[in-house]
Amino acid sequence: MGQITATLNKTIKEFLRQKTILFWTIAWPIIWVLIGSFSFTENVPSEGIPYIKGAITISMTVFALMTAGMANLPGNIAEDRERGLLTKLMSMPIRPWRDLVGRILALLAFSSLAAISVVFVGYICGAGFSFTMIGFLQSIGFLLLISFASAGIGMLIGTFVKHVHGAIMSGVGIAVVTAALSGVMAPYSSLPWVLQSFARIYPVSSANSSITYLLVGEAYAGYSPLSESQAALTIGVSLLLFVAGLIAYSRFCWRKG
Amino acid sequence: MAAIYVENLTKKYADSEVLKEVNLKVEEGEFYALMGPNGSGKTTLASIMASVRTPTSGKIEIYGRKPENAKELIGYVSQENFSSPILTGKENLMYFAGLLGYSKSEAKKIVNELLNKIGLSGDADKKVSDYSGGMRKRLEVATVLFPGIKILVLDEPTTGLDPSARRKFLGLIEELRKEKTTILLITHIGADAELASRVGLIDEGKIIAEDEPERLKKMSGLKNVINIETTIKSEKVANALRNFSEKQKVLETDVGYRVYCKDVEEATPQIVRSLDAIGCKVTKIETEKPSLEDVFFKLTERMVREVS
Repeated sequence: MGQITATLNKTIKEFLRQKTILFWTIAWPIIWVLIGSFSFTENVPSEGIPYIKGAITISMTVFALMTAGMANLPGNIAEDRERGLLTKLMSMPIRPWRDLVGRILALLAFSSLAAISVVFVGYICGAGFSFTMIGFLQSIGFLLLISFASAGIGMLIGTFVKHVHGAIMSGVGIAVVTAALSGVMAPYSSLPWVLQSFARIYPVSSANSSITYLLVGEAYAGYSPLSESQAALTIGVSLLLFVAGLIAYSRFCWRKG
Repeated sequence: MAAIYVENLTKKYADSEVLKEVNLKVEEGEFYALMGPNGSGKTTLASIMASVRTPTSGKIEIYGRKPENAKELIGYVSQENFSSPILTGKENLMYFAGLLGYSKSEAKKIVNELLNKIGLSGDADKKVSDYSGGMRKRLEVATVLFPGIKILVLDEPTTGLDPSARRKFLGLIEELRKEKTTILLITHIGADAELASRVGLIDEGKIIAEDEPERLKKMSGLKNVINIETTIKSEKVANALRNFSEKQKVLETDVGYRVYCKDVEEATPQIVRSLDAIGCKVTKIETEKPSLEDVFFKLTERMVREVS
């Protein structure tokens, strides 16, 4: 059992045993899938209803990943710092990058669980998808990008917001506001042009559109997010946010006084 | 080779000098207590030893190595409760075993031994949030009892513990002492420091005295202390007591005062009468041997502990 496994085990147990984390990351998106599936399908031709439900399911899956990365991860980091665990770890012969890899793996495992739960409920509610195997694998890749971008933002929050509640609330706030403004929770076509530009730059939103495009169809994505330049922007900004988070966490959270 | 060697160690922050040319030597197997009030620099010194902070100048060695190169030898228990409250005691120790690189089977074996040693075997599968303060502190000390760790740096481990938990905890320290583990205890409680083989008194970033507890008391020149419990505590009462104390020094305690005088027999009835005259009832008065807190007070004219 190495440092990475030890951190992975500890973090995943902490995620799974906190009711607030389970509620906001898994139950809340599921509630919205249920509400969306039965409330927002009036006046829609019957053949389109499964795809509307599919688009809602994808949006809520993305929102679950956003909450996990932007609120749960910084909450966990801030809690470890507040109770002196990071200080304790600094006194031990361990490497910061291994701690970080353990945390990220725990986040990915927990995010996968959340995503599977939301998709499962969406499927039960009648969500319809139309995709090829390559499209499905590409969607997994975009989900990973969403997790990395969210984790990057989460690490920045966890590094600079010192208190647990402050870190969690900042993360939830950023997730909710950016999801609303960037079209994760609303159709891209209904956004004003400024927010449409934001939706293309903000990698969580553009990855969400990419998945919708791949699994449901262009009509539901609102634009073609898989053009070379747009895909490069999505990948580039996601990785940039992740790397910024990595640097902030390893430089400032582990800095000696 | 000394287990801990500190020479002219200084730590400065932007506007203050927390440690001022501190010198300290702790031999292998020694139980050394560093006693001082809040803000005296003792936690800063401990955290530099544990490689959590860096010194501004001076030399510090752990078995001849820089602290950052001797992390595997030092077990640091900070003041905070760093164990995870939503994991069980066993899961917390398994986490630390994993961080130290033990395989799962090795970790299980060692963790069970440690739980037995700290008396938490029966509560191993309870969540730490259900532990008492004393149980949690013992669990945290167990994180530094893994094989290979040679020096324990314990920062204020008994603060906030009730008397029974404190006794149990100090019993654990006594056991570790018998095993010849090198222990550096950071404390502001005189009774805890008295268990050590040597005590360093630290004040305003300087070690002002260092010796065996009994020799420190002898060196201070204090002979007897009158411990008085009163119904009220006020400046007026303290002033009345100053007339009976050497150099007019009176130490305030949680429940009254401590007065230092040469002739205890003569002073005791006079103190009772004097306090009675100003309307203060004495609920208890007794003569005691001086404590390390009295020695600190004698040397600095400051209390080592805040009075609640």
